[in-house]
Amino acid sequence: MSHGVLDDIEKCMESGWSDGLPVIPPYGSLVDPMLEALGWHASDVVGQIPDQSIKVRAEQVAATAVMAGCRCEYAPVLRALALAILDPRFNVSGVEVTTGGASVLVIVSGPVVAALGFEHEANALGANSRINATVGRFAQMLRLFCGKGGGVLQSHGTVGHPGRLSFCIAEHPETAWGPYHTQFGLPAEASAVSIMSSEGPNSCNNHYARTGAAILDTIGDCMMHFGQTAWYYRSSGFVVVIPPDHMALVKPDFTREQARQYIHTNARRQTDDLVNVGRIAIPPLAYAEVELGAMRTPLKTPDQLTFIECGAAGGRFSAVIPRWAGSQSVVCRQIEGI
Amino acid sequence: MSNPKTDKVPAQQLMSCGEVACEVLVNPIPRPELDPIRITLKPKVPRVTFLDHKKPNSLAILQFAQQILRQRGIEVREEILQKDDASIPMPAALLASLSQEPGLVLCGISD
Repeated sequence: MSHGVLDDIEKCMESGWSDGLPVIPPYGSLVDPMLEALGWHASDVVGQIPDQSIKVRAEQVAATAVMAGCRCEYAPVLRALALAILDPRFNVSGVEVTTGGASVLVIVSGPVVAALGFEHEANALGANSRINATVGRFAQMLRLFCGKGGGVLQSHGTVGHPGRLSFCIAEHPETAWGPYHTQFGLPAEASAVSIMSSEGPNSCNNHYARTGAAILDTIGDCMMHFGQTAWYYRSSGFVVVIPPDHMALVKPDFTREQARQYIHTNARRQTDDLVNVGRIAIPPLAYAEVELGAMRTPLKTPDQLTFIECGAAGGRFSAVIPRWAGSQSVVCRQIEGI
Repeated sequence: MSNPKTDKVPAQQLMSCGEVACEVLVNPIPRPELDPIRITLKPKVPRVTFLDHKKPNSLAILQFAQQILRQRGIEVREEILQKDDASIPMPAALLASLSQEPGLVLCGISD
């Protein structure tokens, strides 16, 4: 590598064209093939953020992909991902600027996982694999570059989490309960990318349980600590990550729908305790549906709970990923061309 | 508190210069194509209008602020306007209506 390239990397980092890590400088000779792979022309409008008077053009998306270190062969995933992030339901500016410090959680599922070589086993939530790391980074960079309104808005995340640099999870190609995207109506044989805004993952350790119910109780308890954002608004929900060892106990006793219902019914704590510790506004707003004296679930409805099957065998861990309250939709898009 | 390292507006253009020629790097950052929000910095009439965005305690804080402002002799519009959901942008019709408000508009706060 010439010193000129190193100088350009420094220039990008000093000039606000970076997520804090070194980037591949977006030379035209690299951006053009990425554009071609994405199937767009440079000036095509990929999405808009009307409240910021911003149109996001394909050239900017392609430059971001190059800077994140993505290869052109990832383009079918990147195309679906960019369209999802710029979908108004995702509220990208809200995700970027919130005090909640949310990230874009990217879930990849279906045949694309094996076709492109996503890591879905060891350290599935933080895989040291180029495609996981750079696709996840691309999503966060697009959030950063677009969500700040070209530098007009500021991020106000109080603590944030490491997923704001990269947060991409790939599901096992073979699943016990069906691919992740079937929870959003896509056919099982499809490849898909699903995004949502999220907080960081919480690990759930249970090595000595003998039943699926005990595993689900452990997962449910992880969703119920006082500090969960979900308690008041209950507007978004959780993603539950189940690796093979926990699934081996849960699957014989529960379908996915039954597991969802079980956690919704059993993972509850006393509303008055939440009031006493300050987790319920006084007076509560009507839509928070606070019932004093009753047991309260952090899920408004069971379908706010979704399950992804990934992670390595050999350890009895699961994980719970709380979603951010201010961006309520999961945007799930089919990946074309895989 | 703002951080000058991360909060500065990103560069509009970067050049890569070799010994013979320079190349413009492709700018990854979309910019507003119009002013993002047009505001009048100086109200035309000395009156305050409040907008509640339905976050916890927002309405209580705004009502308290109404009371304090009135005690200080400032005209405050009686009706507190409502935005039904803090997590979504202001509806265009409400934004258009507020843009015609000649006084000062204060939006909801919470917690």
